[in-house]
Amino acid sequence: MTEPHTCMQIPAWMKSGETTEECPSYDNKRRKKNFIQKSISGVFRFFDESLQNEKYIRQKGFLQSLDPRVKLLSIIVIILGVSMTRSIEVLLLMYILSLIAAYFSKIDLFFFIKRIWLFIPVFAGIIILPVIFNVFMPGDAAIVLISPGQGAHLGPAALPGGLTITWQGLITATRFILRVVTCVSFAVLLFLTTRHSVLFKSLRTFHVPKIYVLTLDMCYRYIFLFSGMIRDFYMAKKSRTLKPLPMIKEQKWVGERIGHTLIKSLKTGEMVHMAMVSRGFNGDAKIMDTFCANRRDYISGVFSVILGVSLIIFSQITIIH
Amino acid sequence: MHIPDGYLGPITFIVMYIIMIPIWIYAGYKVQNYLRSRQIPYLAMAAAFTFVIMMFNVPIPGGSSGHAVGSALVAIILGPWAAVITTSVALLIQCLVFGDGGITAFGANCFNMGVVIPFVGYYTYKYISGKTPITSNLRIAAAAVAGWLGLSVAAGVAGFEMGIQPALEHTAAGVPLYMPYGLNITLPAMLIAHCCFFSIVEALVTAVAFAYIARSDPAIIFDYKKEEASTAGTKKNPENPQVS
Repeated sequence: MTEPHTCMQIPAWMKSGETTEECPSYDNKRRKKNFIQKSISGVFRFFDESLQNEKYIRQKGFLQSLDPRVKLLSIIVIILGVSMTRSIEVLLLMYILSLIAAYFSKIDLFFFIKRIWLFIPVFAGIIILPVIFNVFMPGDAAIVLISPGQGAHLGPAALPGGLTITWQGLITATRFILRVVTCVSFAVLLFLTTRHSVLFKSLRTFHVPKIYVLTLDMCYRYIFLFSGMIRDFYMAKKSRTLKPLPMIKEQKWVGERIGHTLIKSLKTGEMVHMAMVSRGFNGDAKIMDTFCANRRDYISGVFSVILGVSLIIFSQITIIH
Repeated sequence: MHIPDGYLGPITFIVMYIIMIPIWIYAGYKVQNYLRSRQIPYLAMAAAFTFVIMMFNVPIPGGSSGHAVGSALVAIILGPWAAVITTSVALLIQCLVFGDGGITAFGANCFNMGVVIPFVGYYTYKYISGKTPITSNLRIAAAAVAGWLGLSVAAGVAGFEMGIQPALEHTAAGVPLYMPYGLNITLPAMLIAHCCFFSIVEALVTAVAFAYIARSDPAIIFDYKKEEASTAGTKKNPENPQVS
């Protein structure tokens, strides 16, 4: 009798069970992340962030225990107050208040500060950086960087009086960064301590139409489904990639995946609608409202509203003076 | 494009909310009319798509990559009013759950990305494509121009909103309190970066995705049935008689 599959042999490197060197794939040779890796890591970061949020939402801290409607109103009023504040000292105090609130809400302060400062303020910092120089905002010199002296020339071109960092520029930049950081800190506190479904439902307190609230809630859940789909597209592509295709073909691939995702999402919408109709949905959606505010919620709400309104009044007084 | 809190002063962000509130109400009314009970799941899926489209990285020359906003594509496929709702919902989730874009700047962000891109994109597409067949190359080119123009105009509007801050919000000594750069800096910065870079990615994605949908499932494209019905008098479609 002959063996049926004599031509199929396991390669020697598979039998050894140990790897002598790293797999020489295309991606390992490139240090820079290509579009496939960027997309995959973007999706994983999204899932990771959602899990982190979930972890803090479950903590039994100060903000987690507050009624979501009170919390939403309080944080909106505070952000409004902070966005109108002109005083650097007050902005600093408000930032410290956000850190205190994070501490009592059992949020890891290192994680909280890193999350705030790593993205938006760094971006804001790059934008605001030129303002500190006299080229963009003339003013009193704080630090002189280049001083070629009056009438200095570089060849035929006359050099400007010098490059300095100005006090006015520093104050403007500090105020701008502090305001952005404080507003973002309070906004991040809101979603780190509130379950998304109750956060969306609490929008009804502000008379946001039901259609928007329900769409929001359903949309948030399906984002995870579609994100997983995108991750699978890129994973499948990565697993088949030995050598990158010409850029135009890669771009065409991405565009077609986007088109496919849109078709798929609308088809899913149709199926979800049929499932809803089969369960009795007639277009009139109902929201199960189970909010219950207690005395502590009212006290916190009143305190936050007074604080926010005080900031707004204070900012108006400083304008008058 | 996502403006965070602290960039725009109260005059601007309050005005943007005042502009957006009637637009949100009218968009809800308009969409409710043609979607009826289907509206919630349909809009929710489209909004989820609007959110995740930003996760697609597109390779661009120089070994880097960028991502599209996708509002022009959504407007061409679902109609501009549905795009207002889906983009606003996606932006609200980004703002409330992931801190991307500010709460005070939400009205401005929705105006730029949820109104300007869809309407400029949709009417550009409609004007260029005319009454050509759904799979014609002219429609693909129209989708590309719609994507490019929609995002570029929105970038210009965002640049304008930021650039007027020094004139609107400053101390008695003239020191700016919010975005410190004037229109002479913000407009070119936003327009050059978008016209030469991000809008090209947007154009590419809009065109390829539109071509794919027109080829594989044209029935989902907004106005498709209306356009098919108008051409029915001259040409019969044997594969899909109920459309013609």
